[in-house]
Parts: sequence; C-alpha cells; structure tokens
Amino acid sequence: MSAPPTEPVRYIDSNVYLPYDYVAGDLKALYLRALKDRRILGSKCSKTGKVFVPPLPNSPESFAPCNELVEVSDQGTMTTFCIVNIPVIGRNLELPYVAASVALDGADISIFALILGIKPEDARMGMRVRAVWKPDGERTGSHDDIAHFEPSGEPDAPLESILHRL
Amino acid sequence: MKRAVAVVGVGQTHHSSRRADKSMAGLVREATERALQDAGLGYEDIDAVVLGKAPDQLEGVMQPEQFLVGAVGAHMKPMIRVHTAGSVGASTAITGVTLVKSGQFRRVLAIAWEKQSEGNAMWALSPNMPFIAPLVAGAGGYFTPYIRAYIKRTGAPGHIGPMIAANARDNAGRNEYAHLREPMSVEDVTNSPMLWDPIRYLETCPSSDGAIALVLADEELAKKGPRRPAWVRSGATYVEPMWVPGRDQVDPAAGRRCAKTVYEAAGITDPWNQVDTVEMYVPFSWFEAMWLENLGFCEIGEGWKIVERGEQKFGAHLPVNPSGGVLCTNPIGASGMLRLGEAALQVMGRAGEHQVEGAKLAVGHAYGGGAQYFSMWVVSSEPR
Amino acid sequence: MRNVAIVAYAQAPFVAVDEHHTSTEILYPQIRRALADCGVEREAIDYQVGGSADYVDGRVFGFVAAVDVMGSWPPKQDLHLEMDAAFAAHYAWIRMQAGDCDTAMIVGYGKPGEGELNRILNLQLDPYYQGAVGLDLASTSALQASAYMARTGAGDADLAEVAARNRAAGARNPDAWLKQPATAAELQKTPWAVEPLRQGYVAPSCESAVCLILAAEGKAEKMSKTPVWIHGVDQRAELQSLGSRDLSKSASAGMAACKAFEMAGVKTANDVDLVELSALTAAEEMILREAVGLPARGDGGPAINPSGGPLAGSAAMSTGLVRLGEVYRQLSGKAANPVKNARRAIAHAAQGHALQHNLVWVLGNERRWS
Repeated sequence: MSAPPTEPVRYIDSNVYLPYDYVAGDLKALYLRALKDRRILGSKCSKTGKVFVPPLPNSPESFAPCNELVEVSDQGTMTTFCIVNIPVIGRNLELPYVAASVALDGADISIFALILGIKPEDARMGMRVRAVWKPDGERTGSHDDIAHFEPSGEPDAPLESILHRL
Repeated sequence: MKRAVAVVGVGQTHHSSRRADKSMAGLVREATERALQDAGLGYEDIDAVVLGKAPDQLEGVMQPEQFLVGAVGAHMKPMIRVHTAGSVGASTAITGVTLVKSGQFRRVLAIAWEKQSEGNAMWALSPNMPFIAPLVAGAGGYFTPYIRAYIKRTGAPGHIGPMIAANARDNAGRNEYAHLREPMSVEDVTNSPMLWDPIRYLETCPSSDGAIALVLADEELAKKGPRRPAWVRSGATYVEPMWVPGRDQVDPAAGRRCAKTVYEAAGITDPWNQVDTVEMYVPFSWFEAMWLENLGFCEIGEGWKIVERGEQKFGAHLPVNPSGGVLCTNPIGASGMLRLGEAALQVMGRAGEHQVEGAKLAVGHAYGGGAQYFSMWVVSSEPR
Repeated sequence: MRNVAIVAYAQAPFVAVDEHHTSTEILYPQIRRALADCGVEREAIDYQVGGSADYVDGRVFGFVAAVDVMGSWPPKQDLHLEMDAAFAAHYAWIRMQAGDCDTAMIVGYGKPGEGELNRILNLQLDPYYQGAVGLDLASTSALQASAYMARTGAGDADLAEVAARNRAAGARNPDAWLKQPATAAELQKTPWAVEPLRQGYVAPSCESAVCLILAAEGKAEKMSKTPVWIHGVDQRAELQSLGSRDLSKSASAGMAACKAFEMAGVKTANDVDLVELSALTAAEEMILREAVGLPARGDGGPAINPSGGPLAGSAAMSTGLVRLGEVYRQLSGKAANPVKNARRAIAHAAQGHALQHNLVWVLGNERRWS
C-alpha cells in the first residue's frame, strides 16, 4: 500500500468512455452516397417547394413533409463569412482561412463551408464559389468528398440579393 | 386570475475560470445559501426546486441535479431540470415563475450553474459528429459571419465591437462577482489577436465556473419582506427552427417575438424610454449593438450608434449590462439566470456598486442555440 | 383549478434499433398523427415542451434538432427538460394552471440503441462515491431488489410471477414491444442480469418517439370525444445516495402518490381501475405497488400495467409518457386490450436510480373540478 498523499487531494481524474453507434438515417445516407457521384441532393417541401440541403424530412418553415429529393448545383454564393485565426479541434487547416455561409444555387438554406484558393483579405460577401471535389476514386460517400469551395471567377452576386438571405 | 410573482432573494457565486475550492455541490450551494439568506428563508421554506444547466457533457456527468438533491434542499420536493442551450439559466428562472404563478407552489428555488472547468468545454461545444459536416470554425466562428453581415448592413465602423468590450470590463469593475474585472481600453482590445475576423480575443466571453440562485414567491409572501422584491411583470421563452429559409440570425424573429410578448404583458410601449436598464446576453461584443435593435430599443441600423454615443454606458441613458454581462462572466448554464437575476437586483436596489440609480423597470434577456432560443423577463419595483 | 385533459397520443412502434431514421425523423410522423387525431393544425397548439437527454442522444444540445420537426415556425413558446417526457407533461399541466396556455404538445424521443444505456446511466451517479465504483443501472436496481427481498421475503419465484404477468399483458397489447408471452418458469431460467435480478425481470431497452397533447377545459371537448381528465398530479425527488434511504421502499413515490390522491379526491389506489407503473424491474413494480397503497403481489384490485409495462419494452426518456399514453388509450376506449369499465387510473413515471424521482398522475373520464 502506497504512502498517503502529502497534500490534500483536490481533484480526481474521471475519464468518460462511451461508445456510440450513430444511425445516419436513410435520408442522410442518400445524401452522402450521392456526394460520391459528385451530386448534391436536397429535399423539397411538398407545400412550398423550398429545397433543404442537406435533406430534411420536413420543412421547418411550413411543417409539411418533404417528399422529393432534388439535385442542387455545386456552385453558389458566399453570403457571409469570417476569417478563422485559431484552429478547430480535430482539423489541421493552415491559418488563417475563410469559413463561409454558402447558398448553393437551387437550395433555400445555406451550408457552412471552408473556402480555399483565396487570400482571406480578398474574400467578399456575394462572391461566387464552386465546390472542389476530391478526385475520382478518392470519394467515399462522406462530407469531405467536397474538399472545400473556391472562387468560381463569376461576377459577384449583388449585395442586396444576399444581405437578408444569409 | 393572474397571480403576481416576485424575486425575493438572489445569490450568486464569485465566478472564476476554475472554482477549485468547491465541488459542484459546493458551488451550487454557495449560491443557494446566499439566495436564501438574502430572502431571510431556510431550505424548509421552499416548495419546489427548478434547476438549469447546459449540456452535461461539459462536466462529464449526467443529470447532476439527481446527485445534488441534498445540496439544494430538494429532498422530497418536486424538482425540474431545464436544458435550453445557452438560454437555459433564463428559461429556468421563467419556469420557476410559472410554478409560483400556477398557485401550486408558493416559494420556488431556481438555480442555474456550470462548472465547466471540470470537463473540456471546447470539445463539448464543438464535437465532430459523424454524418454531420465537419466543423469549419469553433463556436465563436459560427456567429462571427452574422456579425460581419450586421456590419455590412449598417455600415458600422470597426471600433464599435472593441468599444462594447472595453465598456463591459468597465462595468465588471463594479461587480464583485464578475470573472473578468481588469479594465481594458479600446486600444487593448483592438491590439488583441484576431480570432475569427472580425472578432478579437478580448471581444469574446470567458469560460467560467459559477452558479446563481433566485428565490421566487407569491404576492402575499413577497410582501412580507425582508427585502423589497423584484416583481416579475412578464416572462417568456421562445424558439425558432434552425433551417427556416431566409432566417435572420442578425435580427432573429424569435428574439423580436419574445421581446414583443414580454413588453406587451408588462405595458412597455417605448422600451428606450421606459426601461431603466437591460441585462442582455452578449457573448461576443457586437451582439450588444445587434440586440439593442432586436429587442426594440431602437430602429434597425441604429444600435451601433447608441454605442458610439455611449448611451448604453453606466450612468448614461440606458445602461446595458451594468454587471459586465456574459463578456466578463460566462458559466454557460448560469449566464441566462445571471442576466435575469442582475435585472432583478437592479429594481430591488441591491446591485451595490453597479446599481443603476433609481432603476424601477429592468429587462433580462438570454439566447442560445444557433440564435434560436430566446428567454426574457421584465421586472419592476411595482407589482403592477 | 383548471380541468386539463389528454386529447391525443401517438407513439412510434417500438423497435430495438431503428437503423433507418434519426430520433427526430421518428418523432415527426408521431406529431402529425397526434395533431390529426385531435383534428387541429399546429397553430392551434399554444405551447410545446420536450423531454430528452443529451447522453442518450450521444450529442450535446441533442434536443435542438427536434425544434425543426415540431412546427416551430413562426417562433413558438417552448421549453425542453433534460428529463423523461412525462415530467415535461407535468410542466405543461402547471403552465395551464398558471393560465399561460390552453393547449400543449409534449414530445419524448431518444435512440438508446445507439449507445450502451446501462453504462451511460452510471454518469447519473455522483462521481465521487457511487459513480466511481462503477455502479450502473443494472446494479443499483439489483441492490434495491435485494433490499426489497430481504425486507419482505419475496423470492425469485415472486419476481418471475410479476414479470410473467407483464409479459402476458404485453402479448395482448399491439403497441408493446415484446409480443410473446413468457411463463414464470421460462423467465426463471433466464441468466442473471445482476443477481438477484434475472434478465427476464428487467425492462428491455427499445426505441420510440411519442407525442401527447393536453388541452384545458373549453378546448379539450372540441379536440376529443373522449378526453381523459387529469384529476391529480405530483412529483417528488429523494436524495440519490443509495445508503441514505431505505431502498426497499420508494418514499418519494409514496409521497407523490399521496399528494396526487389528495388533489384527485381519491382515498386509495383501489378507487381506480388500472395502474400504469414505470417499473423497470419486477422488484420496482412491487415497491411501487406498495408505495401507492396496493398489495405488492396478487390479483384483485386495479389492473396493473395492462399495457405490459416497461417489462414489455422501455424507450428511454419516453417510458413515463408512454404510461400516460396507455392510460389515455384505456380510458378513452382506444385500447385493443381494454380493462373492463375503466373510468379512473393512475399513471407513474420515474427517473434516476432506484426509484429516486417519481411522478404520479390520477386520471379519469369525468372532470375533477366543476
């Protein structure tokens, strides 16, 4: 038996290990598998026709079910962004980089995406961007099949069109 | 019959980055002891206990209220645990109000806390989950793009955020319980490292351990004293979905709706002139300007001008966050109740050095999630 | 006091693991069904409140996802409790008494199949003394069963009998999970979960999502031809420490029952026709029966768990609300396995270890207050 501690015990280390087997759900699985084919799917509200990417089972706006999957473009508009200067846990990205809200053409909500191929100081709200896919053979049907987005070179979307549709 | 409800006691801990001197039970009890002492009551006088905190993964425990029953005097009493993300402290207070308002419970103890030093807060707030797109920025990085949009919409100059941050510290200097109290200048803020452009290090909230408790009572008991109570004129908790097309996270609909509901119920038609002080949930500097608009204190686009004119400083027309707010103290689960509790302290005349002179009508506000959960109350020195 | 009634209840069929849907995808159709059952659109519901747990969801802020399937636009008054959904229903009832709403939607959901629930629940125990020694729900339940058996002389055969009765009832309930009956003899041959509890005496974990709608008098009658009225309700929590209480009883269940009976004007549990208990083990059922003033064993008196109870399938975070829903089915004449002439009932919910925190309802076909 070891000697008693010389200092009062102030902390106990208690590590938590809990295994989870997460279910993606068929809807999300369809979306992810389509990414392998360079396709981005959204679900369409049966009442309003609005499109949600990634797909949702129902429209949170109308409360009606979404009963159709549609393909949206892999190009879109950077509605707003920030320039990240501190690393995110679990990712090894070169700082600083642009993290943006991207409205894909055909989708009615935005996704959050990494923007590369641009100097952060050149980033602009309204900039047009396009997905940069992992090469054939490297895509596995997961979110990082889209490695990042980069400027598409098209003229910026007018500010008025995105200032209230972030 | 609308029963009147009042805050008759407030107690909070000295918030800090790590309360190594107390266990979670000890931390919570520090707040409950102070609240009961403030109210001139004992645990036996409480009819029900309502507790709130943010995700339990922050401390590596689950539903800790279950092992805190003894510490909070809840043995053989009704107990409720609330969890509504960052707004939880506020929605917990409002839940407590509803319990008294129902007529089923005469005195309720409402408690909110976080001891996030015991876990890894950064991980807990931004874990990488399967089937969800990998994170591109941490928690602050989520909100910063909307701050950029606010700046773009309004044309606000860049120094507004730093002004807000420096002013918050100035306020915290008058609040003995605040976590970060050292004064800092606007220059100190603009010289601090940029985290997520446009938010700098000194424009962000800290990670704190802390707890706050409120004793709520019905009209008859509140009038017995010993303190002048803070009458809860109205309270509400709202939510909006994350994925509504065109949802405005700069001027969230749920925030606006919540404010409208509580103002109407409290007879406030002109917040800018009727409200004496407001404690609003500002985790990153610019939200102060944004929420001044969202909460109806001014027109859209005018919030930053209030800051530029210094009209929200202590001693000015509408002191905002005289306690220093979330920017200076942020035990996540407690922050919402700190806002509501500080508003109560103001109209009770018990805010000590940060007392807004003559405050009779105050607003407390908190938000959480992706700008989805909004909880507010209006407190007054008068019951109606 | 306002008369408040249950006017609709929808429950997703129990499955061990739904590999095709997330918890909110399971929940959405149940919300639509419940609303359709009481003939209203979402806008007719004043308040929404949910019960779920982050650790069961295996994520932080897990409940936020539910907001998007609950029809929360335009913004809605809302709350979420980190508790079994039955406690959310209790809060909705309190809100009605405060006059803050006339209708409320309560949801419960969770996918315990994604994690190891028994292990997860170790984290509910204080981290210094009880959690640290590795106690889980199976072992704390066993400690309680052991204490009960020591006090009363109940034995393995008695536990088997209770479990078999629940399994037989479950077999008659199309909405239970375990649909095969099991005899006491068969259950006595199941291996130990943690002695003295055999696997056959312990509620099997499954997945579901539930939606229950409450309405106050004035609205309830328009939403259901057979509203089931709340006559009384109370909930109580005890100290958690296993050594600080008599584990062979549940004092908090007893007190909650006493107070609920008082409010309901009920003298004893024999005044009701059926009792739905959130008993996760056969021993818990016996302890709870005593707590509500019924004999721990034997027939005669109200029907106990005609649904089959949690021993026929227990969905974490919803089990308590499912008991309320089963009472609604029975008293509104919707049950496929009806208890004859059922007019009054008790429903019970619990959470924590060893029946630490209990909620008791008394319900009936007539209004309580005029």
